[in-house]
Amino acid sequence: MKQYAYYPGCSLESLGKNYHLSALAVSTELGVELKELEDWNCCGATAYFPVDELLAYTLVSRNLAIAEKTGLQDFVAPCSACYKNAYTTNKYLKADPDLAEHINYALEEDHLQVEGRMNVRHLIEVFIEDVGLEEIKKKVSNPLKGLRVAPYYGCQIVRPRKDKEDVENPQFFEKLLLAIGAEPIDYASKTRCCGGSLIITNRKAALDMVHKLLQDAVNSNANVIATTCPMCNVNVEVYQGQVNREYGTRFSIPVMYFTQLMGLAMGIARGHLGIGAAAPVLAFAQNVEAR
Amino acid sequence: MAVELSFSKEIENIMYASHGKPIRDCLQCGTCSGTCPAVEFMDNSPREIIGLIRADMKDEVLASNTYWTCASCYHCTVRCPAGIDIADMMYALKRYSMWKGKYKEGLLGPDFSEAFVKMIVNSGRSFEPILAATYLPKYSAGDIIQEGLTAAGLVLSGKMPLLPKKVKRLKNVQRMVRRIIPIGETK
Amino acid sequence: MSEKIGVYICHCGTNIAGVINVGEVSAWAAENLKDQGVVVSRDYKFMCSSLGQELIQKDIKEHGLTRVVVAACSPHLHEATFRNACSRAGVNPYLFEMTNIREQDSWVTTDKEEATKKAKALVAAAVGRVAYQKPLESLLVPIDPNVLVVGGGIAGIQASLEIANSGQHVYLVEREPSIGGHMAQFDKTFPTLDCSACILTPKMFDVGNHKNITMLTWSEVEKVEGYIGNFTVTIRKRARDVDEGLCTGCGVCGEKCPKKVLDNVFEAGMGNRKAVYVPFPQAVPKYPVIDRKNCTYYLKGTCKACEKFCPTGAIKFNQEDQILTVKVGNIILATGYDLFDSHRITQYGYGRLANVFTSLEFERMSNAAGPTGGRIVLRDGKTVPKVVGIVHCVGSRDQNYNPYCSAICCMQSLKFAHLVHERTGAEVYNFYIDIRTPSKGYEEFYQRLLEEGTRFVRGKVAEITNVARVPEEEGKLIVQVEDTLIGKQRRIPVDMVILSAGLQARHDAKIVARKFGISCSADGWFIERHPKLDPVATMTDGVFVAGACQGPKDIPNSVAQGAAAAARVLSIIGQGEIEIEAATAIVDEVTCVGCKQCVASCPYQAIQYLEDKGKAYVQEALCKGCGTCVGTCLPKSISLKHFTDEQIVAEMIGAMKVMKSFELMEVA
Repeated sequence: MKQYAYYPGCSLESLGKNYHLSALAVSTELGVELKELEDWNCCGATAYFPVDELLAYTLVSRNLAIAEKTGLQDFVAPCSACYKNAYTTNKYLKADPDLAEHINYALEEDHLQVEGRMNVRHLIEVFIEDVGLEEIKKKVSNPLKGLRVAPYYGCQIVRPRKDKEDVENPQFFEKLLLAIGAEPIDYASKTRCCGGSLIITNRKAALDMVHKLLQDAVNSNANVIATTCPMCNVNVEVYQGQVNREYGTRFSIPVMYFTQLMGLAMGIARGHLGIGAAAPVLAFAQNVEAR
Repeated sequence: MAVELSFSKEIENIMYASHGKPIRDCLQCGTCSGTCPAVEFMDNSPREIIGLIRADMKDEVLASNTYWTCASCYHCTVRCPAGIDIADMMYALKRYSMWKGKYKEGLLGPDFSEAFVKMIVNSGRSFEPILAATYLPKYSAGDIIQEGLTAAGLVLSGKMPLLPKKVKRLKNVQRMVRRIIPIGETK
Repeated sequence: MSEKIGVYICHCGTNIAGVINVGEVSAWAAENLKDQGVVVSRDYKFMCSSLGQELIQKDIKEHGLTRVVVAACSPHLHEATFRNACSRAGVNPYLFEMTNIREQDSWVTTDKEEATKKAKALVAAAVGRVAYQKPLESLLVPIDPNVLVVGGGIAGIQASLEIANSGQHVYLVEREPSIGGHMAQFDKTFPTLDCSACILTPKMFDVGNHKNITMLTWSEVEKVEGYIGNFTVTIRKRARDVDEGLCTGCGVCGEKCPKKVLDNVFEAGMGNRKAVYVPFPQAVPKYPVIDRKNCTYYLKGTCKACEKFCPTGAIKFNQEDQILTVKVGNIILATGYDLFDSHRITQYGYGRLANVFTSLEFERMSNAAGPTGGRIVLRDGKTVPKVVGIVHCVGSRDQNYNPYCSAICCMQSLKFAHLVHERTGAEVYNFYIDIRTPSKGYEEFYQRLLEEGTRFVRGKVAEITNVARVPEEEGKLIVQVEDTLIGKQRRIPVDMVILSAGLQARHDAKIVARKFGISCSADGWFIERHPKLDPVATMTDGVFVAGACQGPKDIPNSVAQGAAAAARVLSIIGQGEIEIEAATAIVDEVTCVGCKQCVASCPYQAIQYLEDKGKAYVQEALCKGCGTCVGTCLPKSISLKHFTDEQIVAEMIGAMKVMKSFELMEVA
């Protein structure tokens, strides 16, 4: 089993608990060992950069430093916002020695130092690149045939550029969905922002963005929207009711994590995937399992 | 000898760490604003904000809700033909307005960010219910009820944390924070 | 020292004198360098003027000067000027040394004291060196009057005709089956709206019929050896599988050929051709070509319909390529451009959304001889668009693709707008960042388009989508853009989008450049000798560039450059022989051990290994005097004339002594 330094992020312990469960279940099945970092702190998400940039980078660097201490090569984050923060901070640490020096000065207080040597990955990347689509296919005992999935990348997993994928039309999520037997649909909004970071501070703008996304997915005949980020997931799922009230629509499309879909395809029990925790998802998941 | 900086130079300096091209390079082509998913809710489009900054129109910029409406989706950044990191510029403007304590009235962003930062300094992890205290008072009655319903749903599905978590080496983390900026308890 | 050295410090107006105390330097040289042979030391306002030069000549006569040093601007500018002045007064031009106290001194500092000190050091260095310089004679090489023109587009055609009309002979090599280039694909040309083929084909026929032009189409240059006046070029004349002596150009072969092939070259993918084809009706030469990759005979061994039906028996399968070796004195490269690949801008939907077209696709559509017979219709071939959006700056002025402006797209987009209005009466939107209409008649053309009611929206298009948000957008292409002049994001539904894609260097430009011994810029365009004053010459003597291969430009400019390159070539031919710079490397045969390291290291392939003698030999005419071989040679058998070790060391000592005295450096 290859070991990875695993950074769950705050959301996976609360709003995204089912992501955490399904991620661990699927990883175990695929031979990926996610070793949770000890005593990790919040990465600051999008709320630290409005206050102080250096402090934001420092918070992220503490986690990178803890990871570097483990001696492992890869820093894996399942949340796109944590991933983006870690990736860019890591890049800047390598490129700017002055920044690194300043941050290390602060990290001394926790007896840590950071170099920027980690390989920062998103969880979905680890499955696709390290495990490989062929291996995943082999583990699929219950291909999700006929399930039309809208792969929702969201914004921060591809942007800013991480020099790994095409930012305008990435295809890796579709490839993963095909590997588990589902039918990915092609729709224009797959990398459009869901407005997650605005849901509290600018409800109107966020609801508009969620509305447009839902409209596009539903018009493209999706049965379920698959996500790679707990913020996107919660935003698009939980606020569907509000969108309906605001816009007079009648959306009730399930929103699931890619790990939950993978788990279902691999025959893992629903309870281990955190399915059944939300009513609309439960009903649909039953349908999926029944196929 | 101290030099009085123009507003545009001040903003440029705050953007140093963003490693992008300076906003001086802007062609005013409008790609950013044409791409922005939140532009309809902004007082000024991203392009207009750059124009206002370059014209040293500080008051107009600080009175605008533009950067507090930015969702940080970075779509403008990847498409900008001049290579400017516009999303990071929005963060720089947020920082500037927080620092000066000047922003459009009625915005929730500044208080929310401040509360978030304090929360992390106090515990090292995020805990949603604390944040509610910052914005609920500003919501309308209808909105508060909506939030309540949403929260109830989350609690019932086990997705809402009922107790805040803390980082073990919290004191170290707090001292670490203070080496950057002076906030949080000392002990 | 028995030499008599004259030192001249130029003021260059205030360029030098404004920072360096030239009087002080001149006086210092007279005093301190007397023991090195300085007998005359002057400073003067403009040494390069005729009066300045006469000053040198007068001193040579009156004082019997044997060496001259001028401290002024860069040798790039005026070394030749002063060398000639010395020559006219009877002093060998290689007994002159120029030192740069402008670009390397007065222009790089504002500190007057430091600048003056450095000037003294530089003058001392030059004086030290000049004493060791030897008189050299330039090599004179004869010029072969034949000319090679590579590329049969409008620039190459113009160049060929100018040279051929003057009585000299041209080899015109063109890669495609016909000459004409991109201009042959266009419908109308801006700003006059002349039909492109109508103004181009007369020139094409002139070229085809000209007694002084050997036109080699369906051919490519394989190798170039030699130097100015004396190039040996190997050309591969690819097999057409058609006997040009028998073919009448009747076209029956093409009619009878059963194999249709998508024409990605001339028709820009909008239409088909046959496996045996003539690229377009007015092709020059008229002989068809067989596309072996798609011909049924070559793929399966059957068919041969063309051979059966050819009335003169001109189809000859399995012809061999011909290799020709020609000698020319000068070469003009006019290889043109490639279009930016619009697939790269995913958010514009080209390739995914059917009714998004590129500029070349639209040209073919609009052309009466094109695949739609000149009708402007959607991809279904039938529907006439009611609203058309034209996007400027596609892939240009963009750090993510090409940072430069492609020069022609604004005018081209206006032209498209006009054609769409005229043919379809559709509503037209032009999405632009700036309107660039600089040349004669161009701004007036823009005015005309405004009068025609074109809707101009100032904003670079953010994305093009077919996902409708409101009923009016259903079934349309939506152009999402910020209308910057009113500050609002707009979604404009259109039926058809035309992308004014930018111009790029040919995909193999770097390989072609290397073949001919010239360089490409970072963007891939061929580099000219001087962007302002010498846009058609290159740093390689005898190789010139013309047209879009040197940078994006319109037809008038390409024609002008073609003619300019021709004029340069004719002036060289007119001189009959040309001087080659004498500062070349030379091998001492006595000490040369024949290790051939120099042969391998020479970037210009100027050194030969003489088998019979077992020694290296430098071909002077090819040598550029770079000195690489000198550094490589272990037994130190190669020296560089005019840059001998003696000279260089004297120069260094001259400078260092002065710098030490001014405490500008430590010398052990």
